[in-house]
Amino acid sequence: MDSSVPLFDFAAVWSSRTLLLEGFGIAMFCATAAIILAMIIGLLIALMRLSNSRFLRGFAFVYTQLFRGVPLYVLVIWVYFGLAIVADINLPKIPAGIITLALLNSGYLSETFRSGILAVNIGQSEAAAAIGLTKRQIKRYIVLPQAFRIVLAPSGNQFVDAIKDTAILSIIGVPELMRMAQQQADLFYRPFEFYTTAGILYFIAVMGVTKLFSFIEKKMNRIGFTNGSQKVANVGEYI
Amino acid sequence: MGKYDFSWRIIEEHLPELMKGLIITLQISVAGMAFALLFGLFFATLRFSQYRVLNVISNSIVQVGRSLPLFVLLFWIYYGLSLKFKINFSDFQAGAIALGITGGAYMAEVFRGGIKAIDQGQSDAAFAIGLNRMQTSRLIVLPQAIRIILPQTVNIYVGLLKGATIVSVIGVSDMIYVAQYVSLETFRPFELYSFAGVVFIALTLSVASFAWLLERQLSGKSRRG
Repeated sequence: MDSSVPLFDFAAVWSSRTLLLEGFGIAMFCATAAIILAMIIGLLIALMRLSNSRFLRGFAFVYTQLFRGVPLYVLVIWVYFGLAIVADINLPKIPAGIITLALLNSGYLSETFRSGILAVNIGQSEAAAAIGLTKRQIKRYIVLPQAFRIVLAPSGNQFVDAIKDTAILSIIGVPELMRMAQQQADLFYRPFEFYTTAGILYFIAVMGVTKLFSFIEKKMNRIGFTNGSQKVANVGEYI
Repeated sequence: MGKYDFSWRIIEEHLPELMKGLIITLQISVAGMAFALLFGLFFATLRFSQYRVLNVISNSIVQVGRSLPLFVLLFWIYYGLSLKFKINFSDFQAGAIALGITGGAYMAEVFRGGIKAIDQGQSDAAFAIGLNRMQTSRLIVLPQAIRIILPQTVNIYVGLLKGATIVSVIGVSDMIYVAQYVSLETFRPFELYSFAGVVFIALTLSVASFAWLLERQLSGKSRRG
Protein backbone atom coordinates (compact mmCIF):
# COMPACT_ATOMS: atom_id res chain seq x y z
CA MET A 1 0.00 0.00 0.00
CA ASP A 2 1.20 3.50 -0.80
CA SER A 3 2.79 4.87 2.37
CA SER A 4 1.34 8.34 1.83
CA VAL A 5 -2.18 6.92 2.18
CA PRO A 6 -3.14 6.41 5.82
CA LEU A 7 -4.17 2.86 6.73
CA PHE A 8 -7.36 3.93 8.42
CA ASP A 9 -9.10 7.03 7.32
CA PHE A 10 -12.46 7.66 8.86
CA ALA A 11 -12.50 11.29 7.70
CA ALA A 12 -14.34 10.19 4.56
CA VAL A 13 -16.96 8.49 6.71
CA TRP A 14 -17.32 11.61 8.80
CA SER A 15 -17.78 13.77 5.74
CA SER A 16 -20.65 11.56 4.54
CA ARG A 17 -22.24 11.27 7.96
CA THR A 18 -25.49 12.94 6.95
CA LEU A 19 -26.00 10.49 4.09
CA LEU A 20 -25.26 7.51 6.31
CA LEU A 21 -27.55 8.73 9.07
CA GLU A 22 -30.27 9.38 6.52
CA GLY A 23 -29.86 5.81 5.31
CA PHE A 24 -29.95 4.61 8.89
CA GLY A 25 -33.21 6.51 9.43
CA ILE A 26 -34.75 5.00 6.31
CA ALA A 27 -33.66 1.51 7.37
CA MET A 28 -35.22 1.94 10.81
CA PHE A 29 -38.39 3.38 9.28
CA CYS A 30 -38.69 0.42 6.88
CA ALA A 31 -38.12 -2.10 9.67
CA THR A 32 -40.61 -0.43 12.02
CA ALA A 33 -43.33 0.00 9.41
CA ALA A 34 -42.80 -3.56 8.19
CA ILE A 35 -42.97 -5.10 11.66
CA ILE A 36 -46.18 -3.22 12.51
CA LEU A 37 -47.77 -4.42 9.28
CA ALA A 38 -46.41 -7.89 9.85
CA MET A 39 -47.94 -8.04 13.33
CA ILE A 40 -51.38 -7.13 11.98
CA ILE A 41 -51.18 -9.66 9.13
CA GLY A 42 -49.54 -12.24 11.39
CA LEU A 43 -52.33 -11.99 13.96
CA LEU A 44 -54.99 -12.39 11.27
CA ILE A 45 -53.22 -15.42 9.83
CA ALA A 46 -52.77 -16.93 13.30
CA LEU A 47 -56.49 -16.52 14.03
CA MET A 48 -57.28 -18.08 10.65
CA ARG A 49 -55.13 -21.08 11.47
CA LEU A 50 -56.99 -21.55 14.72
CA SER A 51 -60.44 -21.03 13.19
CA ASN A 52 -63.03 -23.71 12.54
CA SER A 53 -63.18 -23.18 8.81
CA ARG A 54 -61.17 -25.71 6.87
CA PHE A 55 -60.63 -23.26 4.05
CA LEU A 56 -59.24 -20.51 6.26
CA ARG A 57 -57.00 -22.98 8.04
CA GLY A 58 -55.66 -24.28 4.74
CA PHE A 59 -55.08 -20.80 3.38
CA ALA A 60 -53.24 -19.71 6.52
CA PHE A 61 -51.10 -22.84 6.46
CA VAL A 62 -50.02 -22.29 2.86
CA TYR A 63 -49.40 -18.60 3.53
CA THR A 64 -47.15 -19.37 6.49
CA GLN A 65 -45.18 -22.07 4.72
CA LEU A 66 -44.77 -19.94 1.60
CA PHE A 67 -43.40 -16.85 3.29
CA ARG A 68 -41.26 -18.77 5.73
CA GLY A 69 -39.71 -20.72 2.90
CA VAL A 70 -38.99 -18.03 0.34
CA PRO A 71 -35.64 -16.25 0.59
CA LEU A 72 -35.83 -12.50 1.07
CA TYR A 73 -33.67 -11.92 -1.99
CA VAL A 74 -36.18 -13.64 -4.24
CA LEU A 75 -39.20 -12.09 -2.55
CA VAL A 76 -37.95 -8.52 -2.84
CA ILE A 77 -37.19 -8.94 -6.52
CA TRP A 78 -40.54 -10.57 -7.04
CA VAL A 79 -42.46 -7.76 -5.32
CA TYR A 80 -40.53 -4.95 -6.96
CA PHE A 81 -39.97 -6.26 -10.50
CA GLY A 82 -42.33 -9.22 -10.68
CA LEU A 83 -45.50 -7.36 -9.76
CA ALA A 84 -44.66 -4.68 -12.29
CA ILE A 85 -44.26 -7.27 -15.04
CA VAL A 86 -47.21 -9.48 -14.21
CA ALA A 87 -49.82 -7.13 -12.82
CA ASP A 88 -48.55 -3.75 -13.94
CA ILE A 89 -48.26 -2.64 -10.32
CA ASN A 90 -45.33 -0.25 -10.12
CA LEU A 91 -44.54 0.19 -6.47
CA PRO A 92 -42.05 2.84 -5.43
CA LYS A 93 -38.90 1.41 -3.86
CA ILE A 94 -39.51 2.10 -0.18
CA PRO A 95 -43.12 0.79 -0.10
CA ALA A 96 -42.00 -2.26 -2.07
CA GLY A 97 -39.30 -2.88 0.54
CA ILE A 98 -41.71 -2.43 3.42
CA ILE A 99 -44.29 -4.78 1.87
CA THR A 100 -41.61 -7.40 1.23
CA LEU A 101 -40.35 -7.31 4.80
CA ALA A 102 -43.91 -7.30 6.13
CA LEU A 103 -44.86 -10.39 4.10
CA LEU A 104 -41.77 -12.29 5.15
CA ASN A 105 -42.06 -11.42 8.84
CA SER A 106 -45.80 -12.01 8.94
CA GLY A 107 -45.13 -15.65 8.07
CA TYR A 108 -42.87 -16.06 11.09
CA LEU A 109 -44.97 -13.91 13.41
CA SER A 110 -48.16 -15.82 12.62
CA GLU A 111 -46.48 -19.00 13.86
CA THR A 112 -45.25 -17.18 16.97
CA PHE A 113 -48.70 -15.77 17.64
CA ARG A 114 -50.35 -19.11 17.08
CA SER A 115 -48.15 -20.85 19.61
CA GLY A 116 -48.57 -17.87 21.95
CA ILE A 117 -52.35 -18.19 21.77
CA LEU A 118 -52.14 -21.95 22.28
CA ALA A 119 -49.84 -21.42 25.27
CA VAL A 120 -52.57 -19.58 27.18
CA ASN A 121 -53.99 -22.05 29.64
CA ILE A 122 -57.25 -23.62 28.41
CA GLY A 123 -58.71 -23.10 31.89
CA GLN A 124 -58.74 -19.38 31.15
CA SER A 125 -61.13 -19.76 28.23
CA GLU A 126 -63.23 -22.28 30.11
CA ALA A 127 -63.57 -19.96 33.07
CA ALA A 128 -64.49 -17.12 30.74
CA ALA A 129 -67.09 -19.28 29.00
CA ALA A 130 -68.43 -20.28 32.41
CA ILE A 131 -69.10 -16.67 33.41
CA GLY A 132 -70.96 -16.21 30.14
CA LEU A 133 -68.57 -14.44 27.77
CA THR A 134 -69.09 -15.08 24.09
CA LYS A 135 -66.41 -16.68 21.93
CA ARG A 136 -65.41 -13.32 20.52
CA GLN A 137 -65.22 -11.73 23.96
CA ILE A 138 -63.08 -14.58 25.23
CA LYS A 139 -60.57 -14.03 22.39
CA ARG A 140 -60.63 -10.29 22.80
CA TYR A 141 -60.48 -9.90 26.59
CA ILE A 142 -59.04 -13.13 27.94
CA VAL A 143 -56.82 -14.98 25.48
CA LEU A 144 -55.19 -12.31 23.34
CA PRO A 145 -54.03 -10.02 26.20
CA GLN A 146 -52.31 -12.98 27.84
CA ALA A 147 -50.90 -14.26 24.59
CA PHE A 148 -49.50 -10.79 23.94
CA ARG A 149 -47.19 -11.09 26.94
CA ILE A 150 -45.98 -14.49 25.84
CA VAL A 151 -45.13 -13.38 22.31
CA LEU A 152 -43.46 -10.12 23.33
CA ALA A 153 -39.91 -11.51 23.50
CA PRO A 154 -40.05 -13.47 20.22
CA SER A 155 -41.63 -10.46 18.51
CA GLY A 156 -38.67 -8.43 19.67
CA ASN A 157 -36.37 -10.96 18.03
CA GLN A 158 -38.40 -10.67 14.85
CA PHE A 159 -37.99 -6.89 14.94
CA VAL A 160 -34.24 -7.38 15.23
CA ASP A 161 -34.31 -9.67 12.20
CA ALA A 162 -36.31 -7.11 10.27
CA ILE A 163 -33.70 -4.44 11.01
CA LYS A 164 -30.94 -6.74 9.78
CA ASP A 165 -32.97 -7.67 6.72
CA THR A 166 -33.33 -4.04 5.60
CA ALA A 167 -29.74 -4.31 4.33
CA ILE A 168 -30.97 -6.62 1.56
CA LEU A 169 -33.40 -3.96 0.35
CA SER A 170 -30.40 -2.18 -1.15
CA ILE A 171 -30.68 -4.70 -4.00
CA ILE A 172 -33.73 -2.90 -5.39
CA GLY A 173 -32.19 0.48 -4.63
CA VAL A 174 -33.93 1.50 -1.43
CA PRO A 175 -31.64 4.29 -0.17
CA GLU A 176 -31.10 2.65 3.23
CA LEU A 177 -27.89 2.42 5.24
CA MET A 178 -26.20 -0.38 3.28
CA ARG A 179 -26.94 1.25 -0.06
CA MET A 180 -25.52 4.55 1.16
CA ALA A 181 -22.46 2.81 2.59
CA GLN A 182 -21.93 1.00 -0.71
CA GLN A 183 -22.14 4.20 -2.73
CA GLN A 184 -19.85 6.15 -0.43
CA ALA A 185 -17.38 3.25 -0.20
CA ASP A 186 -17.10 3.19 -3.98
CA LEU A 187 -16.82 6.95 -4.16
CA PHE A 188 -13.98 7.26 -1.64
CA TYR A 189 -12.54 3.81 -2.31
CA ARG A 190 -12.68 3.14 1.43
CA PRO A 191 -14.84 0.02 1.75
CA PHE A 192 -13.36 -1.11 5.06
CA GLU A 193 -14.16 2.13 6.87
CA PHE A 194 -17.64 2.49 5.44
CA TYR A 195 -18.74 -1.10 5.98
CA THR A 196 -17.30 -1.08 9.49
CA THR A 197 -19.30 2.05 10.24
CA ALA A 198 -22.43 0.50 8.76
CA GLY A 199 -21.85 -2.58 10.90
CA ILE A 200 -21.48 -0.46 14.02
CA LEU A 201 -24.72 1.38 13.25
CA TYR A 202 -26.62 -1.89 12.74
CA PHE A 203 -25.13 -3.18 15.97
CA ILE A 204 -26.30 -0.09 17.86
CA ALA A 205 -29.81 -0.42 16.42
CA VAL A 206 -30.06 -4.11 17.24
CA MET A 207 -28.72 -3.64 20.76
CA GLY A 208 -31.11 -0.73 21.32
CA VAL A 209 -34.14 -2.75 20.26
CA THR A 210 -33.03 -5.79 22.27
CA LYS A 211 -32.57 -3.66 25.40
CA LEU A 212 -35.91 -1.92 24.82
CA PHE A 213 -37.80 -5.19 24.58
CA SER A 214 -36.13 -6.75 27.61
CA PHE A 215 -36.93 -3.54 29.51
CA ILE A 216 -40.63 -3.80 28.56
CA GLU A 217 -40.61 -7.45 29.50
CA LYS A 218 -39.06 -6.73 32.89
CA LYS A 219 -41.59 -3.97 33.51
CA MET A 220 -44.43 -6.37 32.80
CA ASN A 221 -42.94 -9.07 34.97
CA ARG A 222 -42.66 -6.63 37.84
CA ILE A 223 -46.31 -5.65 37.58
CA GLY A 224 -47.08 -9.34 37.67
CA PHE A 225 -48.39 -9.58 34.15
CA THR A 226 -46.34 -12.56 33.18
CA ASN A 227 -48.11 -15.87 32.99
CA GLY A 228 -45.52 -18.47 33.65
CA SER A 229 -42.39 -19.47 31.93
CA GLN A 230 -43.75 -20.53 28.54
CA LYS A 231 -41.73 -18.79 25.93
CA VAL A 232 -41.91 -19.32 22.25
CA ALA A 233 -38.57 -20.11 20.72
CA ASN A 234 -37.83 -18.81 17.30
CA VAL A 235 -34.19 -19.57 17.02
CA GLY A 236 -32.92 -20.16 13.53
CA GLU A 237 -35.30 -17.88 11.75
CA TYR A 238 -32.98 -15.03 11.44
CA ILE A 239 -31.60 -14.37 8.04
CA MET B 1 -52.42 -7.60 -18.66
CA GLY B 2 -51.32 -9.50 -21.66
CA LYS B 3 -48.32 -7.31 -22.14
CA TYR B 4 -46.02 -10.01 -20.92
CA ASP B 5 -46.25 -13.47 -22.43
CA PHE B 6 -44.72 -16.06 -20.24
CA SER B 7 -42.19 -18.42 -21.65
CA TRP B 8 -41.34 -21.14 -19.23
CA ARG B 9 -39.30 -22.88 -21.91
CA ILE B 10 -36.45 -20.62 -20.86
CA ILE B 11 -36.16 -22.62 -17.63
CA GLU B 12 -35.92 -25.85 -19.56
CA GLU B 13 -33.26 -24.45 -21.85
CA HIS B 14 -31.10 -23.18 -19.02
CA LEU B 15 -31.78 -25.98 -16.58
CA PRO B 16 -28.21 -27.37 -16.56
CA GLU B 17 -26.75 -23.96 -15.64
CA LEU B 18 -29.39 -23.37 -12.99
CA MET B 19 -28.70 -26.78 -11.47
CA LYS B 20 -24.98 -26.06 -11.47
CA GLY B 21 -25.82 -22.87 -9.57
CA LEU B 22 -27.98 -24.81 -7.15
CA ILE B 23 -25.09 -27.14 -6.39
CA ILE B 24 -22.87 -24.15 -5.61
CA THR B 25 -25.60 -22.81 -3.33
CA LEU B 26 -25.70 -26.14 -1.51
CA GLN B 27 -21.91 -26.29 -1.32
CA ILE B 28 -21.56 -22.82 0.13
CA SER B 29 -24.33 -23.41 2.65
CA VAL B 30 -22.71 -26.66 3.79
CA ALA B 31 -19.28 -25.01 4.03
CA GLY B 32 -20.88 -22.14 5.96
CA MET B 33 -22.57 -24.62 8.29
CA ALA B 34 -19.26 -26.38 8.93
CA PHE B 35 -17.72 -23.04 9.95
CA ALA B 36 -20.81 -22.27 12.02
CA LEU B 37 -20.50 -25.53 13.95
CA LEU B 38 -16.82 -24.88 14.64
CA PHE B 39 -17.33 -21.25 15.69
CA GLY B 40 -20.40 -22.13 17.69
CA LEU B 41 -18.78 -24.95 19.61
CA PHE B 42 -15.69 -22.88 20.24
CA PHE B 43 -17.54 -19.86 21.63
CA ALA B 44 -20.01 -21.97 23.60
CA THR B 45 -17.09 -23.76 25.25
CA LEU B 46 -15.48 -20.42 26.08
CA ARG B 47 -18.66 -19.32 27.80
CA PHE B 48 -18.42 -22.25 30.15
CA SER B 49 -14.77 -21.59 30.89
CA GLN B 50 -13.69 -20.75 34.44
CA TYR B 51 -12.03 -17.54 33.33
CA ARG B 52 -14.36 -14.56 33.38
CA VAL B 53 -12.39 -12.75 30.69
CA LEU B 54 -13.02 -15.56 28.22
CA ASN B 55 -16.73 -15.57 29.09
CA VAL B 56 -17.01 -11.87 28.44
CA ILE B 57 -15.03 -11.98 25.20
CA SER B 58 -17.00 -14.87 23.78
CA ASN B 59 -20.27 -13.29 24.86
CA SER B 60 -19.43 -10.03 23.09
CA ILE B 61 -18.33 -11.78 19.92
CA VAL B 62 -21.56 -13.76 19.83
CA GLN B 63 -23.58 -10.58 20.37
CA VAL B 64 -21.79 -8.78 17.56
CA GLY B 65 -22.13 -11.77 15.24
CA ARG B 66 -25.85 -11.91 15.86
CA SER B 67 -26.32 -8.20 15.31
CA LEU B 68 -24.58 -7.81 11.97
CA PRO B 69 -26.62 -8.38 8.84
CA LEU B 70 -25.17 -11.09 6.61
CA PHE B 71 -25.14 -8.58 3.78
CA VAL B 72 -22.83 -6.26 5.71
CA LEU B 73 -20.57 -9.15 6.74
CA LEU B 74 -20.23 -10.24 3.12
CA PHE B 75 -19.17 -6.81 1.93
CA TRP B 76 -17.00 -6.24 4.97
CA ILE B 77 -15.07 -9.46 4.45
CA TYR B 78 -14.92 -9.49 0.67
CA TYR B 79 -14.27 -5.82 -0.09
CA GLY B 80 -13.29 -4.33 3.26
CA LEU B 81 -10.79 -6.86 4.58
CA SER B 82 -9.24 -7.73 1.26
CA LEU B 83 -8.52 -4.16 0.32
CA LYS B 84 -7.32 -3.09 3.74
CA PHE B 85 -5.19 -6.01 4.80
CA LYS B 86 -4.56 -7.64 1.44
CA ILE B 87 -6.30 -10.81 2.57
CA ASN B 88 -7.68 -12.01 -0.70
CA PHE B 89 -10.48 -14.42 -0.11
CA SER B 90 -12.17 -15.84 -3.15
CA ASP B 91 -15.86 -14.97 -3.39
CA PHE B 92 -16.78 -18.49 -2.33
CA GLN B 93 -14.48 -18.39 0.71
CA ALA B 94 -15.75 -14.96 1.76
CA GLY B 95 -19.33 -16.16 1.43
CA ALA B 96 -18.70 -19.31 3.44
CA ILE B 97 -16.93 -17.35 6.19
CA ALA B 98 -19.70 -14.76 6.39
CA LEU B 99 -22.32 -17.51 6.59
CA GLY B 100 -20.16 -19.25 9.18
CA ILE B 101 -19.93 -16.16 11.40
CA THR B 102 -23.67 -15.49 11.29
CA GLY B 103 -24.57 -19.12 11.81
CA GLY B 104 -21.84 -19.59 14.42
CA ALA B 105 -23.18 -16.79 16.59
CA TYR B 106 -26.54 -18.54 16.67
CA MET B 107 -25.01 -22.00 17.05
CA ALA B 108 -23.08 -20.80 20.11
CA GLU B 109 -26.38 -19.98 21.79
CA VAL B 110 -27.87 -23.31 20.73
CA PHE B 111 -24.89 -25.24 22.10
CA ARG B 112 -24.94 -23.25 25.30
CA GLY B 113 -28.65 -23.84 25.77
CA GLY B 114 -28.27 -27.54 25.03
CA ILE B 115 -25.41 -28.01 27.46
CA LYS B 116 -27.13 -25.96 30.15
CA ALA B 117 -30.31 -27.97 29.77
CA ILE B 118 -28.56 -31.10 31.00
CA ASP B 119 -29.26 -31.57 34.67
CA GLN B 120 -26.31 -30.75 36.92
CA GLY B 121 -26.96 -34.05 38.70
CA GLN B 122 -25.78 -35.89 35.59
CA SER B 123 -22.25 -34.48 35.79
CA ASP B 124 -22.24 -34.77 39.57
CA ALA B 125 -23.08 -38.44 39.26
CA ALA B 126 -20.43 -38.89 36.59
CA PHE B 127 -17.80 -37.27 38.83
CA ALA B 128 -18.96 -39.42 41.72
CA ILE B 129 -18.28 -42.62 39.81
CA GLY B 130 -14.83 -41.31 38.99
CA LEU B 131 -15.02 -39.91 35.44
CA ASN B 132 -12.81 -36.93 34.78
CA ARG B 133 -14.00 -33.63 33.25
CA MET B 134 -13.22 -34.70 29.70
CA GLN B 135 -14.96 -38.04 30.04
CA THR B 136 -18.00 -36.43 31.65
CA SER B 137 -18.36 -34.00 28.75
CA ARG B 138 -17.79 -36.62 26.10
CA LEU B 139 -19.73 -39.56 27.51
CA ILE B 140 -22.44 -38.01 29.65
CA VAL B 141 -23.26 -34.41 28.75
CA LEU B 142 -22.72 -34.24 24.98
CA PRO B 143 -24.78 -37.29 23.98
CA GLN B 144 -27.75 -35.88 25.88
CA ALA B 145 -27.17 -32.34 24.64
CA ILE B 146 -27.12 -33.46 21.01
CA ARG B 147 -30.69 -34.66 21.32
CA ILE B 148 -31.74 -31.15 22.32
CA ILE B 149 -29.44 -29.40 19.86
CA LEU B 150 -30.08 -31.35 16.68
CA PRO B 151 -33.50 -29.97 15.66
CA GLN B 152 -32.39 -26.38 16.30
CA THR B 153 -29.22 -27.00 14.32
CA VAL B 154 -31.24 -28.09 11.33
CA ASN B 155 -33.32 -24.93 11.69
CA ILE B 156 -30.17 -22.85 11.64
CA TYR B 157 -29.08 -24.67 8.51
CA VAL B 158 -32.39 -23.67 6.91
CA GLY B 159 -31.56 -20.09 7.81
CA LEU B 160 -28.12 -20.38 6.23
CA LEU B 161 -29.62 -21.94 3.12
CA LYS B 162 -31.87 -18.93 2.72
CA GLY B 163 -28.99 -16.64 3.59
CA ALA B 164 -26.90 -18.31 0.90
CA THR B 165 -29.14 -16.69 -1.73
CA ILE B 166 -27.52 -13.32 -1.16
CA VAL B 167 -23.91 -14.41 -1.70
CA SER B 168 -24.43 -13.61 -5.39
CA VAL B 169 -23.95 -9.93 -4.48
CA ILE B 170 -20.22 -10.56 -4.14
CA GLY B 171 -20.18 -12.64 -7.30
CA VAL B 172 -20.55 -16.24 -6.15
CA SER B 173 -22.10 -17.99 -9.13
CA ASP B 174 -24.96 -19.58 -7.23
CA MET B 175 -28.45 -20.21 -8.59
CA ILE B 176 -29.58 -16.62 -8.08
CA TYR B 177 -26.51 -15.39 -9.92
CA VAL B 178 -27.28 -17.72 -12.81
CA ALA B 179 -30.91 -16.57 -12.82
CA GLN B 180 -29.64 -13.00 -12.92
CA TYR B 181 -27.31 -13.34 -15.87
CA VAL B 182 -29.63 -15.58 -17.86
CA SER B 183 -32.40 -13.02 -17.36
CA LEU B 184 -30.10 -10.29 -18.60
CA GLU B 185 -29.50 -12.33 -21.74
CA THR B 186 -33.09 -13.41 -22.31
CA PHE B 187 -35.13 -10.63 -20.66
CA ARG B 188 -37.06 -13.24 -18.70
CA PRO B 189 -36.47 -12.19 -15.08
CA PHE B 190 -39.92 -13.20 -13.91
CA GLU B 191 -39.73 -16.83 -14.96
CA LEU B 192 -36.17 -17.28 -13.75
CA TYR B 193 -36.59 -15.71 -10.33
CA SER B 194 -39.89 -17.47 -9.82
CA PHE B 195 -38.24 -20.77 -10.61
CA ALA B 196 -35.42 -20.01 -8.18
CA GLY B 197 -37.98 -19.03 -5.54
CA VAL B 198 -39.96 -22.24 -5.97
CA VAL B 199 -36.80 -24.36 -5.78
CA PHE B 200 -35.82 -22.61 -2.57
CA ILE B 201 -39.24 -22.95 -1.01
CA ALA B 202 -39.19 -26.67 -1.80
CA LEU B 203 -35.68 -27.00 -0.44
CA THR B 204 -36.19 -25.11 2.81
CA LEU B 205 -39.56 -26.72 3.47
CA SER B 206 -38.17 -30.20 3.06
CA VAL B 207 -35.21 -29.51 5.34
CA ALA B 208 -37.49 -27.80 7.85
CA SER B 209 -39.93 -30.70 7.90
CA PHE B 210 -36.96 -33.00 8.43
CA ALA B 211 -36.14 -30.92 11.53
CA TRP B 212 -39.73 -31.24 12.66
CA LEU B 213 -39.67 -35.02 12.24
CA LEU B 214 -36.37 -35.19 14.07
CA GLU B 215 -37.76 -33.17 16.93
CA ARG B 216 -40.76 -35.48 17.30
CA GLN B 217 -38.63 -38.57 17.03
CA LEU B 218 -36.04 -37.43 19.55
CA SER B 219 -38.46 -36.02 22.08
CA GLY B 220 -40.46 -39.25 21.90
CA LYS B 221 -37.35 -41.26 22.59
CA SER B 222 -36.24 -39.16 25.52
CA ARG B 223 -39.66 -39.38 27.08
CA ARG B 224 -39.59 -43.16 26.90
CA GLY B 225 -35.99 -43.46 27.99
